[in-house]
Amino acid sequence: MFALLVASLGIATAQTITVTGRVVAEKDGQPIPGAYVLVNGTTIGTVTNDLGEFGIKSVPADAKEIIVTFLGMTTASAPVQAEPLTIVMHEDATYLDDVVVVAYGTVRREAATGSVTSVKNEQLANVPATSVDKMLAGKMAGVTITSGSGQPGSTSTIRVRGISSINAGNEPLWVVDGIPVMAGDFRQLSNAGVGGGSSSTFLNPNDIESITVLKDAAAASVYGSRAANGVILVTTKSGKAGKARFTARAKYGVQQLINDKNWRPLTGSELIDYRRVAAINAGHDPYDPTDQYYTPETLLANGTTNWYEELTKLGALQEYEINATGGTNKASYYASAAYHSNDGVFYGIGYDRFSARVNSDFQLLKSLKSGARFNLSYSNSDSGQMGDLYYSNPQYAMFSILPWTPFKNEDGSFNVNIPENSDTNPAADAHYDTYNDKDYRLQGSIYLEWKPIKQLTFKTTNALEFVYVDSKQYWSAETNKGTATLFKYWSKDLRYTTSNTITYDDKFGLHSVRVLAGQEAMVDTYDYLGGYSPNVNPLIPFPNTSTPEADEVAYSLSDESMVSFFGVADYNYDNKYYFQGSVRADGSSLFGSANRWGVFWSVGGSWNITKENWMAPTRDWLSLAKIRASYGVNGNNNIAAYRAYGIYSTMTYGSYVGMVPSRPENPNLSWEKNRTVNVGIDLGFFDDRLTASVDWYNRKTEDMLLSKRVPYTTGFGSNFVNIGSIRNRGVELQLEGLIFNTPDFQWTAGFNIAFNRSKVLDLADSEYLSVSDSRAGAQNSGTPVRIVKDKSLYTFYLRDWYGVNPSNGDPLWYDEEGNLTSDVSKARYIYKGSPEPKATGGFNTSLTWKGLTLSAFFEFVYGNNVFMASQFDLDGYDMTGNTTTYSLGYWEKPGDTGVHPKPVAGNPKRPYSNSTRYLQDGSYMRIKDVTLSYSLPENVLKAIKMQGIRVYVSALNPYTFHNVKGVMDPELGPLGYSMGASHTMVKSLVGGIEVSF
Amino acid sequence: MKKILLYITTLTAVMALSGCEGFLTKEPQLQQSTEITLSTYSGLNDATHGAYYYIASSGWYGQSWVVDAEMRSGNGMKSNFANSNRCTQAYNWNYTEDGTSGMWSTAYVTIAMANNVIDNLEGKAVGDVTEQDLNNLKAECLFIRAFAHFCNVLTYGQPYTWCVANDKESLGVPYVYHTDPNGKPARETVISNYENIVADLLEAEKIIDPEYDAQSVRSSLVDPLAAVNISTIQALLSRVYLYMGEWQNAADYATKVIESGKYEMWTAEEYPTVWGKELGSGEIIFEVYGKRTNSAYASWEDMSYLTSPEGSGDPQAAQPLIDLYAEGDVRLDTYRTDANEESGILWTAKYPGKGDNAAPDCNNIVIFRLSEMYLNRAEAIMRGATVADATAVSDLNVITSNRGVAPYTSVGPVDIQNERRKELAWEGHYLYDLARWNMPVERAEADYPLLTMNHNVPFPSTKWALPLPKSELDVNPNLVQNPK
Repeated sequence: MFALLVASLGIATAQTITVTGRVVAEKDGQPIPGAYVLVNGTTIGTVTNDLGEFGIKSVPADAKEIIVTFLGMTTASAPVQAEPLTIVMHEDATYLDDVVVVAYGTVRREAATGSVTSVKNEQLANVPATSVDKMLAGKMAGVTITSGSGQPGSTSTIRVRGISSINAGNEPLWVVDGIPVMAGDFRQLSNAGVGGGSSSTFLNPNDIESITVLKDAAAASVYGSRAANGVILVTTKSGKAGKARFTARAKYGVQQLINDKNWRPLTGSELIDYRRVAAINAGHDPYDPTDQYYTPETLLANGTTNWYEELTKLGALQEYEINATGGTNKASYYASAAYHSNDGVFYGIGYDRFSARVNSDFQLLKSLKSGARFNLSYSNSDSGQMGDLYYSNPQYAMFSILPWTPFKNEDGSFNVNIPENSDTNPAADAHYDTYNDKDYRLQGSIYLEWKPIKQLTFKTTNALEFVYVDSKQYWSAETNKGTATLFKYWSKDLRYTTSNTITYDDKFGLHSVRVLAGQEAMVDTYDYLGGYSPNVNPLIPFPNTSTPEADEVAYSLSDESMVSFFGVADYNYDNKYYFQGSVRADGSSLFGSANRWGVFWSVGGSWNITKENWMAPTRDWLSLAKIRASYGVNGNNNIAAYRAYGIYSTMTYGSYVGMVPSRPENPNLSWEKNRTVNVGIDLGFFDDRLTASVDWYNRKTEDMLLSKRVPYTTGFGSNFVNIGSIRNRGVELQLEGLIFNTPDFQWTAGFNIAFNRSKVLDLADSEYLSVSDSRAGAQNSGTPVRIVKDKSLYTFYLRDWYGVNPSNGDPLWYDEEGNLTSDVSKARYIYKGSPEPKATGGFNTSLTWKGLTLSAFFEFVYGNNVFMASQFDLDGYDMTGNTTTYSLGYWEKPGDTGVHPKPVAGNPKRPYSNSTRYLQDGSYMRIKDVTLSYSLPENVLKAIKMQGIRVYVSALNPYTFHNVKGVMDPELGPLGYSMGASHTMVKSLVGGIEVSF
Repeated sequence: MKKILLYITTLTAVMALSGCEGFLTKEPQLQQSTEITLSTYSGLNDATHGAYYYIASSGWYGQSWVVDAEMRSGNGMKSNFANSNRCTQAYNWNYTEDGTSGMWSTAYVTIAMANNVIDNLEGKAVGDVTEQDLNNLKAECLFIRAFAHFCNVLTYGQPYTWCVANDKESLGVPYVYHTDPNGKPARETVISNYENIVADLLEAEKIIDPEYDAQSVRSSLVDPLAAVNISTIQALLSRVYLYMGEWQNAADYATKVIESGKYEMWTAEEYPTVWGKELGSGEIIFEVYGKRTNSAYASWEDMSYLTSPEGSGDPQAAQPLIDLYAEGDVRLDTYRTDANEESGILWTAKYPGKGDNAAPDCNNIVIFRLSEMYLNRAEAIMRGATVADATAVSDLNVITSNRGVAPYTSVGPVDIQNERRKELAWEGHYLYDLARWNMPVERAEADYPLLTMNHNVPFPSTKWALPLPKSELDVNPNLVQNPK
């Protein structure tokens, strides 16, 4: 107050002048609207207009300097003078790297106390992948992203620092523009929703400004009961002031299945040879026409069919997009529209997506700001019968249909006389049948921000997310023996979220303080209606033509609500010492009445050693040295609704619908709790040309939700209770380097690696738990993995295979006593190997010479076991279908070792039974992306009045190095084995162009 | 400023927290919470119907109760016709604490269903609902509770007749009157179990409306004989008393059922045709109603599918059983061979399926029928009970006269044994008859191929009380395992 008084006195008494001028950017000479212009040492100042111009009256004549500040630019200054000024601002090279989006705000990177990894748009946009989750694969240490399927439109499984839960979910929380979004995939037929994070599938990757992954408790705990699996914060692009700037993108590509080891079905003559050996080994005569296994050469007389080739084709990928950004310092916008289309490698499989976004921000008053984020999307998935072991699944059938079975009849129609595949030709099914999901989705939010004084910000964000999915499954009369069957499903999910925060941010001398208090509430309702019409008129294939008595209706409904209160406090002293604390109370309808509220918290601190005076001598080479430590508790609420209630379900007996208890009550049902310790160090060398981050963490899951066995005298055999514990512990390293940096030539490289070890600490009363696998479906014969106490989360449990008896080609296993046996029923079971990798990571490099850039990106997984028992390689047991090249290399004569057992028709010794025989090293290294791009130089652009033109060509997944046999691709997901039915991953060659004007 | 902030925050928090409980309560809408189900007569009526679920399931009378008893008793043997590896455990009496009968879980889940109703009936007589309506539900549930305990003690306890004579402390099963989510009940004696079963049944008989028919409160119920009425209760009382050797009571309750006039003996002409009908008639007192639309429909574990050569066909009839039937006995028509008549194997034809589907599936399964009542009474009279106008010979001849075989002129224990075995074969009786008669199972190797162990099970033997499931002992320290 005193200073203000002095200042006004000064104005009243001293002589004044007027200063005018224009602020422009150094890079392109364009005006900078909205920059703050201030007379140094006073409170006199203004903001530049749309043309970058400013004028300040009443500048004291003794004032020396004008200071100009603008976000993302280094501060500029100019002398006070009467003549008009032109002030040039330089881009702040460290600006983009320095600020990271964190929970409920942004911090300078050096202020982060927890483990945070972020990826900027530039790093994302260069990869022409189809969705955000796929782009992140291999980019961040400790973030494992696997695509269980190469099906167009499929989602990925994302695991941050291992797997923390058995019965609650393991998907991280996705937060888009501050709002937690839905995780579920509501497509009924796609079979592609292998993971959660489905919202990410519907975002246009180019709309994203940055993605931050909050990995440890300190960073994530403010998301409380949903933070245990990490949090992925997505920030979409805001409008940039200035005249409208357009960017248009187009790309086109082709795809095929990954099959770098060329695994394939046998050809006709290979199969004849194989079958003859199998028949002879079974004591039959394959040359005798009366023998059951008669295998004459004449089978090949009418030519053979390569079913692999007949059932696959070259897929096509195309994408077109235009976006515009612009505005004034009062109002700005970002808008985009994109169309993506992927015609699959298998017939009848495809995915189209149309998405549009409008982001706008308005400075309503000096202290009041508002804005909106809207994303609309529509996707259309044609799925065919992928995913299950159905005869109509081409991924399965292409290996099992016999090579001498013709693909088409003489009249050109599809051959459906295929007894070895239940008379099903997948190509005919793809042609006549329908498996279609249409997903309509709206994500919208509106915010209002009020800054009554500089230090204080009130912000309210209100969001709605709506998903409507319309699904249709149709079995045509042509492929189903004259009967047409229709299934229709409609599902919708509606979620409202309100998020309200108050932030106080101030600086007292060297002390900086930020305090945030907030409240959130969410309601979500999902319902689903399905109709089954078993006999519709093929000419009018709708429910109205089916007989009403035969129709069946399925319905499901679930709702959920949540209320939260939270607070965050940050303090730092002189940018040297940082402390952060957060606390959140979540109340959720998912949990029992006795445990409805949970409190989660974290503390963290960091010390920027380089800021200490005594570090001055080393700053020329050691530009950053920072130590971080944090501890926190957060929760996992990822369970289905109503689990706390005792439930009676309907039961029909003799046409009367009665009620039976289906679940016991559990008023104590509560969250799983994760306690995480994280210690990290960040280093920067040579002005941060080389940066390194190392983190060590220990994450313990407690109160894990498990089905606990209870005495049946209680009326139930088990109850879902909070018991059990898992630990994940690991080290992560991330390196980034700018190796060469000259105006014409730049070379960057990055590397990340993570080592995670899980351990099952407590399974309540059980020594082990079986693992169910939704992919197993009706063929469920138990999974080969178990969850075993004191071992890593998943461990293979298999018969102990010795090998092949070199003297007679019989299979040999170890029995309980450790002796060899060829009787499979006597083989002992052992725990051996885990699908958990010893290390995962990636590395990338990019070379730029003038406008030409070559970049490459690799991903690797090391030290995991995979279990691969091919459905088609049964050592001769099955003489009805084809087998694969995996089966070749079998025992032929005494002394043969390292071979498969001899094939025997009907094989009574069952060497193909699940055993360690099929356990393989699952390590692989994948070239994810190699891109060559060229950006036109500025002088050319100026001549054609363009802002930028970039053309590129990319090879995605061009090659994968691995030694896994009996699979097309080694990426098999967290359970480490394949059902042999999922859509294999694909490789693509894509070319594209980007134009901005 | 800070004070205002603090004030606003505190106020919001207090308001929100107090209003939150309602906002945060989301009841399941498609299913009913236990509390709501059991809060009205209508819900209790539905829950009573639900308690029949397991009786009809393949884990109890829907299949394994019957088939396992036949396979253990020597009436049945393992077929290798279309071998699906079923039935081998029962055939071999290969029961261990890790692999034993599933009756334990079936029984207590069912008992909990019955107890939930019984314990929540009080005060529900509002509006049109009378105390008698509540008592009818209670009687059904008391019957179901007694029946579940009865089958459970038959499985895991030694026969009552042996316990009374040799070991009055011999352990049966816990008798659960009130299902407690934290309860860890201990086993009680076999004798005490039977006392409680009888008490529950007498109470049910006393309170049920003698005219009560479940169809009157469950109008869409297809098969009235698949629900409990007073005769069902009396039929079970007859059987329980017979198993206890309380001959007069066994005879008296059989008489009550016989004299109810509701049931009629199947004639020799009818006998081969009554199996596989949509609804039971004639002799049927209580049955499982089989249908694909039942929630308990067991697909490949369905009784008809299991016992037919067109299905898995694992259990076949053993020759010593077939050899008992005299030529011309119409009961031989309840055996059949495969469709091509090639195998020479006989299977029971009591479960041919209702013909709803191409594969044999869904059949009603007899639990009580009139013949059993005559057989019960004949045996009771032979052992000393007295019934006006009835003798053991006259009762047995009610059976023979309707089966195309010669009448008895006198009745001894072997006659009772053989007649029960022949008449009630493949309905789950003979094993428990042997047990209460304290007789061994004797299976000659020549007659029972594919039998790998326990050809002869002597009596007495620990084998007659199956091991309790180890998984139950693990979670209930108050349970004691049967001696090996």
